Amino acid sequence: MSTVDDSLAIETHGVGKRYGSQWALQDCTLAVPRGRVTALVGPNGAGKSTLLRLLVGLAAPTTGRAQVLGRPPAQHEGFLDSIGYLAQDVPLYQRLTAEDHLGLGAHLNRHWDAQEARARLSRLQIPLDRPVAKLSGGQRAQIGLGLALAKRPKVLLLDEPVAALDPLARREFLASLSEAVAEGDLSVVLSSHLLHDLERVCDHVILLASSRVQLCAEIDDVLASHRMLLGPRRTVAGVEPSISVVKSTLTTNQTRLVARIDGPVLDPTWEVSELGLEDIILAYMGQDGSSVPPISVLGGVQ
Amino acid sequence: MTHLVWRLHRTQAYFATGALVALVLLLLVTGITMADDYHRFLATCAATQSCGDTGQVFSGDGFILDVVNLTMAVPLLFGLFWGAPLVAKEFEDGTQNLAWTQGVTRRHWLATNVTWVLLGAALWGAALAAVVSWWRTPENALDSRFDAFDVQGIVPVAYSVFAVALGIGIGSLFRRVLPAIATTLGIFVALRVSIAIYLRPHFMTELTKTVPLIASNVTAPAGSWIVSNSIVGPRGQLVGRGFTPDSIPAVCRTALPMDGKGGLLQCVASHGFHMLISYQPASRFWAFQGIEAAIFLVLAAALVGLAFWRVLAADA
Repeated sequence: MSTVDDSLAIETHGVGKRYGSQWALQDCTLAVPRGRVTALVGPNGAGKSTLLRLLVGLAAPTTGRAQVLGRPPAQHEGFLDSIGYLAQDVPLYQRLTAEDHLGLGAHLNRHWDAQEARARLSRLQIPLDRPVAKLSGGQRAQIGLGLALAKRPKVLLLDEPVAALDPLARREFLASLSEAVAEGDLSVVLSSHLLHDLERVCDHVILLASSRVQLCAEIDDVLASHRMLLGPRRTVAGVEPSISVVKSTLTTNQTRLVARIDGPVLDPTWEVSELGLEDIILAYMGQDGSSVPPISVLGGVQ
Repeated sequence: MTHLVWRLHRTQAYFATGALVALVLLLLVTGITMADDYHRFLATCAATQSCGDTGQVFSGDGFILDVVNLTMAVPLLFGLFWGAPLVAKEFEDGTQNLAWTQGVTRRHWLATNVTWVLLGAALWGAALAAVVSWWRTPENALDSRFDAFDVQGIVPVAYSVFAVALGIGIGSLFRRVLPAIATTLGIFVALRVSIAIYLRPHFMTELTKTVPLIASNVTAPAGSWIVSNSIVGPRGQLVGRGFTPDSIPAVCRTALPMDGKGGLLQCVASHGFHMLISYQPASRFWAFQGIEAAIFLVLAAALVGLAFWRVLAADA
């Protein structure tokens, strides 16, 4: 057993989950620092939902171990108090109103900030007295977020909360989230396959692809360490050791690389340019992993 | 927790209360009429020496008798509409993700839900059984109480508890409402019918009594449940429920009149054949109620255990 690290919200070691003969998540080792907003990205079926479900204790890992705030997810009131979870598709009791849900939450939780939740929903002009089935997807997502935040969790896990929302609702949702994070000691993991919006609210990124962790680092570090290299056509095998190729594209007379740069690029024939987060993430999604060792988050924190 | 249970199930509770009140009113009106008829009959039959002729007392009450017998299905309804969706609907709507990440453990969540719904079913079952038992009082005095074994006494409570536990258990296994309802229906009916037909008659060793083949219609002690009757020969050999050509004594076979069976019966009776009746006496009614209730309550406990195992040990 490793010692409990207070600076970590989430820590997993070799976590895997198998359903039948299919691995939904494999050998997942990662660490998420406290007080950050982490984007959990990856293509559909990469294991994002599975990872979040393991972390909130709705499923048990087949291999490895996971820790949230230094303890394994368990059916234990202390643990349940510390987490907030918004599942995919925002499950709510369809016939009940937002007010009903707030009432339920008040009865089911030891800490419950109904006033704040009510105020936030009112600001967004969400009717509290109508069955949630009659509300829009954006309004339902806001109610789901409101319920998760009203628990006053230490770790908030959101599974594709903006996937079904239109751009305006998405912006409002993420704004609400940023506001809540700014208010207190809250660590957030937000899964999504929409990269664009996340860059604004997240400061940390985990990339899951092919059921494995491809990248787990500070977004600033990711941006600083990845470059696009453009040069005359050559084989990828010949590049200098400080360049870890994430993705290479060869045209008839050019080689274009997306690479992690661990030192100065000495070869003057490379034309080096900066990359956006989305380009980097997509480059990682395009490759099948294993060729580039995942960046350790711990290096990024210290 | 109780707040959640009430908020999610209050519509069903209102519905059940409404239906029960309607049935109680129906039974009250007809029950009072029936008691009147019965007392009038008792007052007059002594004068005309016709107290044994009970068949005519409640003629014309067919519809209400059907209603009373239909209350047999009420426990099943609890199982289908309260039990089966309890866990299954959470999974179908994904709301277990919401409910099971609040501040209460799954054990607490399930225990509270199961307790209230089982308690509700037991209470409605008891209320129904009480009303039907009261309504059946005049009939019980005339016929065997075993005739309406399933709708009075304590077994309706056990059936209700069992049906709900079955629904919860199956629902937690399938996690889909419709398959859970269908399976609950199938298992409940199959189990109820097979226990009533194959097990119940033999809960306790039957008493037997021999009566002449040509007997009056009083064949067993009043109020008892006749489980079977068969023909027994002069040396005590069992013939069966009726004669086959081979089992008729030769002398009667030759003397068999072609024009009717009366002659045959007279003949075999005079050659020592008689009827053997197996029956459960009226005094065993409550013992039987207890045994049947115990069977269903034990099954219910096992099903609740299944639900706990599925909810606590399996992935949500």
